[in-house]
Amino acid sequence: MENIIQNLLNGALMGCIYALIALGLSIVFGVMNVVNFAHGEFVMLSMYFTFAAGAYWVLDAVTTPLITFPLLFLFGWLTYYLLIDRTLRYRYVTQIAVTVGLAILLRAIAQMIWQAQPRALPYSMIQGNIQIGGINILTSRLIAAAVSVVAIFLVYLFLMKTWPGRAIRAASDDLDAASLAGVNYRQTYALSFGLGTALTALAGGLLMTFQQVDPTMGLRFGLLSWCVLALAGLGSVPGLLISGVIVGGAEALAMSVWDPRSRLLAVYLIFILVLWLRPRGLFGRK
Amino acid sequence: MNTKQRTIKMLPLLVGLVVALIVPLIVGKNQYNMVLVTTVLFYGVLATAWNIIGGMAGQLDLAAWAYLGLGAFTSGTLLLRWNVTPWLGMILGGLVAAGFAALVGYPLFRFGVKEVWYALSSAALVEVLRVAFLMWDEVGGPVERYLPFHRASWYHMRFASYVPYYYIVLGLLLIALFVNYRISRSKLGYYLLALGENEDAAEVIGVDARACKLKALMIYAFIVGATGAVYACLFGFIHPSFFNTAQSTEVAILGIIGGMGIVYGPLLAAIILVSGREFMRANLGSSLESLYLAIYAVVLIVIALFRPQGIAPLFRKAYDWLLSRVVGERYAA
Repeated sequence: MENIIQNLLNGALMGCIYALIALGLSIVFGVMNVVNFAHGEFVMLSMYFTFAAGAYWVLDAVTTPLITFPLLFLFGWLTYYLLIDRTLRYRYVTQIAVTVGLAILLRAIAQMIWQAQPRALPYSMIQGNIQIGGINILTSRLIAAAVSVVAIFLVYLFLMKTWPGRAIRAASDDLDAASLAGVNYRQTYALSFGLGTALTALAGGLLMTFQQVDPTMGLRFGLLSWCVLALAGLGSVPGLLISGVIVGGAEALAMSVWDPRSRLLAVYLIFILVLWLRPRGLFGRK
Repeated sequence: MNTKQRTIKMLPLLVGLVVALIVPLIVGKNQYNMVLVTTVLFYGVLATAWNIIGGMAGQLDLAAWAYLGLGAFTSGTLLLRWNVTPWLGMILGGLVAAGFAALVGYPLFRFGVKEVWYALSSAALVEVLRVAFLMWDEVGGPVERYLPFHRASWYHMRFASYVPYYYIVLGLLLIALFVNYRISRSKLGYYLLALGENEDAAEVIGVDARACKLKALMIYAFIVGATGAVYACLFGFIHPSFFNTAQSTEVAILGIIGGMGIVYGPLLAAIILVSGREFMRANLGSSLESLYLAIYAVVLIVIALFRPQGIAPLFRKAYDWLLSRVVGERYAA
């Protein structure tokens, strides 16, 4: 029993990071209606950037987002102007083709630079575990979850209280009306895409404190973040956090009570069921 | 349409068929090249079958290898357990894949799962099946299951050379093309095109969208499932890694890049892109690992960005131009 609670708790903590990753996707899909199939590869890329910063400049994984966050923002911003901007006129199918192409490209580049074997950083300064009663919790996961929640809250404030955040939300509600009110849609879209991509830098840094990275990793994170997004629905930031925790918890529960191999099975079954039974998600506005 | 026009229209198909038939005579000495051309045709079959659900019905299915894996496992398990010939296994594998497609497709279409969500749920399906077969120890499991080894046995679909496989896959390709062509000329085909363009509008004028999409999905799954049985025999084993999300996505990308809804489009894309990729893999693979993949990805992105209608219209134009030069405007297809 204690074992199950411990796993559930660890899963829920992991779910906070999933929510952070899905938040980036939600900004891109919710605001611009752009279908991004390369989001998981962005996570993979930021994990490799974290690895590179950690390995070459001997930085701790937790501190690397200071470097990788601006880097990935720039990357997302450029990706928007080079690729995504041109696809807005076409059907979603073209967007999928372009972003899948981008995903293959990023995977190939990662494999060229860092080879296929998994890479990991030495122990982070937030190693160790905390014991409460009979329950063990990894410190790194606890701190990663806390940072994720704070980051999600900050992004929420940014979207709600600041002028660029309002512009992003206005563009997502009604692009034409927002344009008439003086919102430059291109700048807003580039900002959203940059922000959505940069959030993966934070997630990547946190993940690297207790996980390794390999080039095929993006696929899993991509599907996982779409799953969290489907469960939450569009337009609700707190809902995203709850969905992330549900997904992380379900994963952990499946692993501990059913079969260690079944973690993805549980996630995808939830995903498919949600799409069937409640297509606008648990907390969705549209 | 008079006979001369018909001849002109069928000419590229005939030339292509003749070339396809004599390819083994040219490269047949080298088994490696034989595997390559078989792989190209193999992707051609998958992309052509995908055209029915993806190109015509407009449902972006990313689960090609789910149906392929089901076909492979059905036929492979029948062969291993009860010594059923893969020739029968092909049909049974196709039926199992089509049945599974119906089982999954019915609720999906019933609950109106569309566009990007349909694409994602089909991608998730591949992963679900992969994990399920990894856990299902009686049939799958983490260890490869090798099909019985025979030097040359028609009954077991095992041959000493890759040439017979090439002709089997070529046969499947012709069947897939024929089915595509027949559907595109049938009532179902026009319904599918209508709902691929605009589903709500099609339903208003009386198209039973659900039934049509389900039919398209099942036909596609049957062809891919039957191909899966051959795939298992070609490589001689079955393994849950057959359920591969990345490769499933690639089939859909070939279909999009070829030109959605055009019968020969996905095949063109498969021939050009897959053979280009394999050529690069053979020649660049030794110098820098996965450089070929990077180049391939850039080509995909460039085509998707600058030719959103696909590459098939380009070939049509080129052919028309060629015809007008050779026989005059009057007979241009």
